[in-house]
Amino acid sequence: MNRTNRRTRLRLIAGLTGALTATVLAVAGCSSSSSSSASTSATSSSSPSSSGASATVPLVVYAAEGYDTAEGKAFQKATGIPVKVDDNSTGPLLTQIEASKNNPNWGLLWVDGPTAFAGLDVQGLLLKGFEPNVKWNSLGTQSVPSDKSYVPTGVTMMGIVAYNKQKVANPPTTYQALLSSQWKGQVGMNDPSQSGPTYPLIAGVMNYLGSVSKGEQYFETLKSNGLVINPTNGPTLQALTSGRINLALVQSSAAIGAQLSDKNIGLEYLAPATLLPSAIGIDAHAPAQEQKEAEQFVNFVLSPAGQKVMQSGDPTGDSLFYPVRQGVSPLPALPSLSTVKTQTINPYTWGPQEGTINNWFDSNIVR
Amino acid sequence: MTSPTLIRRQVARRHLPARVGVGRFAMPVFWIILCAVILAPCACFLVLAISPRLFDQGSQWFTLTYIQQSLTGSTAVAITNSLWVSAAAAAIGLVFGFPVAWLAARTTLPGRRLVSAGMWLSLLLPSWLPALGWERLVQQDGVMYRIGLDWPWMTNLIMGPFGVVLLLGLRCVPFSYLAISAALNGLGQEFEDAARTHGASRWQALRVVTPILAPAIWSALAIGFAESISDFGVASTLAYNSNFSLATYQLYASINNFPPSFPLAAGMSWLLVAAVAIPLALQARALRGRSYAILSGRTRQAVRRRLSRWHATLAGSGLAVFFIVMLGIPAFGAVSASLLADYGGSFTLTLVNYRALFAQSTLIGPLERSLVYGAIAATVTVVLGFICARLLSARRRSKATGALDFMLLASVALPGVVFGAGYIFAYNLPIMASLHIDLYQTVQLLIIAYIASSLPTSARVLVGSVSQLQPSLKDAARAHGAGEIGAWARGVLPVVSRPIVMAWLYTFCGVFLELPLSQLLYAPGSPPASIAIEDNLSNYHFGVGMAQSVLAVFIAFAAVAIVLGGYRLLAPAGWRRIGGTVRG
Repeated sequence: MNRTNRRTRLRLIAGLTGALTATVLAVAGCSSSSSSSASTSATSSSSPSSSGASATVPLVVYAAEGYDTAEGKAFQKATGIPVKVDDNSTGPLLTQIEASKNNPNWGLLWVDGPTAFAGLDVQGLLLKGFEPNVKWNSLGTQSVPSDKSYVPTGVTMMGIVAYNKQKVANPPTTYQALLSSQWKGQVGMNDPSQSGPTYPLIAGVMNYLGSVSKGEQYFETLKSNGLVINPTNGPTLQALTSGRINLALVQSSAAIGAQLSDKNIGLEYLAPATLLPSAIGIDAHAPAQEQKEAEQFVNFVLSPAGQKVMQSGDPTGDSLFYPVRQGVSPLPALPSLSTVKTQTINPYTWGPQEGTINNWFDSNIVR
Repeated sequence: MTSPTLIRRQVARRHLPARVGVGRFAMPVFWIILCAVILAPCACFLVLAISPRLFDQGSQWFTLTYIQQSLTGSTAVAITNSLWVSAAAAAIGLVFGFPVAWLAARTTLPGRRLVSAGMWLSLLLPSWLPALGWERLVQQDGVMYRIGLDWPWMTNLIMGPFGVVLLLGLRCVPFSYLAISAALNGLGQEFEDAARTHGASRWQALRVVTPILAPAIWSALAIGFAESISDFGVASTLAYNSNFSLATYQLYASINNFPPSFPLAAGMSWLLVAAVAIPLALQARALRGRSYAILSGRTRQAVRRRLSRWHATLAGSGLAVFFIVMLGIPAFGAVSASLLADYGGSFTLTLVNYRALFAQSTLIGPLERSLVYGAIAATVTVVLGFICARLLSARRRSKATGALDFMLLASVALPGVVFGAGYIFAYNLPIMASLHIDLYQTVQLLIIAYIASSLPTSARVLVGSVSQLQPSLKDAARAHGAGEIGAWARGVLPVVSRPIVMAWLYTFCGVFLELPLSQLLYAPGSPPASIAIEDNLSNYHFGVGMAQSVLAVFIAFAAVAIVLGGYRLLAPAGWRRIGGTVRG
């Protein structure tokens, strides 16, 4: 009798909890289907918001830029189109895109580095052929891919050495100089498996040296000279200012931003620095209405108003970029590009090799 | 016996078949829920290792390549490292956690009332925070060197396997402490008295009593092992910076690389799941067929042993050192980083990061969200966890109970990033959209994922106390005329109220600063606190991010204080007395 009652009670509690959870799930299913999934809203014929051809649907923006939330708000205010920003690191965003390939939920992707876009493009995940209504400057022209599968929005650089001015009087100016015993144990850089902009640096070095194998040899020598790897720009700069390293290979916007808050940091551009465009790609499988809104978003970002938001949204970080359209000047903290020797890497040559090279770097340099 | 009691019992009996009917329906529903929130996402991810084509992640419908890859090269090294490090950490957790729990529960240890709060505070801290504190202390040109201690041996010791084991071991101490102290709270004086009556010394009495705590001890070891093997905070900071590879980091790198290799990550996940079978098998073997039901209406309150001045000083000092290592170093790491404007280039303290933090217009929203998510997730998790603990503590275990046990522990071993990816694969299938179940990237799915990832540990924390419940508690209430629910509320709830509150707080704290799941599943436009912190930390606002971490930990600890204070003020005195079978 006792055992039966006990079991019955347990079953009752289990049932109540099960029912409660089921209710939560059901409510979740109902509410989310009506409110949170852009693609569903767009395809559902019963949804009032999608009944007209020009009815808006929420635009889902996957972004890893310091000014992305501010830009989303400005766009929503200007157009009335609801924007949902997934502000994240580049890695988790690309993971989400790859994991949801068979049922994508994003409208556009906005991150640094063209190689990731090339990788998505060759998988057929990006909308091709879209060109915004903008007059490019020379940086913009050289950053636009031939199939127009993504759109550059600004340019930063990799191959910048941030150094401690109190400890380093004559910083290195070439990649080869970093291999000198003078800098043994003093050079730090980011891990490409955690830092989106770091693969373009590695690819840039390989491109400059002429082949993957020569690049691998270079990084192996750098490692034997005591290269210190940190996850991302922030921790690498922290290692610099705390004195663990004296030379930090980081993204230009991070280095200039750090310099603004710490006058002991100096900058040197290695020759050649690799151009790193930030770019927007539109989901090839998004509903037509969302694609249209994404195109509007790109046009807004490249408009004078959108550029102003980009330059003010993260003044000591990502806002420190070189514009890609005519009529917009870079922020005063940025040095003139005419004094910097730069190179552009072909993302369609280096993008497909990203996984292989990053794995090699992870196994041979990080460890 | 013509009383209303008899009539009530007769009525109750008349209604019994209907209740049993509901019960029969309810239990399968409970299992379906568990399968939907835990089994399906994990299975969807794990199946990728052998059939990547199933989720568009490769061309093979069936392959063993990825499992083989997991067993070779750097992944094999990482998994081997994780296995021995986790075993050592679980043992360290028990070695420190057991005596601290015993001293706090059974003696007049100075500062014993602060032990529980200290343990909760250390549980509340994300594991990367202690790692960061230690790094700042011992790294080259770190604080240790700046204050004149030129100890490279210390740097080499901490920035290597020893440091990793030490940190993970310290992380296991609160788990052991909670499991053991919950069991000690239910262990009355009568067992010790019986041993002493038969001539046993205090030490011999302890040896008699300790085996009664076996469920809690095995739970502590199993949780410690599984939590260590799935830890990402230490793996991605101290271990990573020490070039000491652990499986979770290797797995993370496979997923975070571009393009990600989900099948390889799934192959490694299989090995992690297999690894947790080891402590589970040992636990099952040790406890098979025995009863540990000791908590009854006749349980006698234990008496605290009065420590001599010498013993009290020794134990108190040891405890102080322990908490300085546990909490002082992480606090130093976080607070110092948040008070230095220049990333630590100088020792000049400033509030500039806090000023910048409070100037951010988006400061409050993520914190509010995480508080709400934590409260909802903790409440549902504790209810589900209690039922799981009840099933797991049944003396006669069915095959279903064994499966539940393995499912819960195996899912502890899977890192959050695997859970997150599994949820995308399971809940973003095209068929889900056609069924109008569009949960991916909604708050609801994020909370469900929080519940699912917290449930295994919550159930494990509760099982120690629940296994001590004797049927007589509820039977007594029933004999006095209480209905089913009334008997449970009046006979059982008072006894387990304290562990339930503790399990709630643990889940709340874990969810409040959870990162990997949040990164993959949060609803766009509604970032929780961890995302906002990570956004600052990984970009160029390191100091602001650290200030935000300190603020978040402070808020979470304030929430813990409010709940514990509320329990102390609002719970009936009897609940607190029964929940703690110790006098003094």
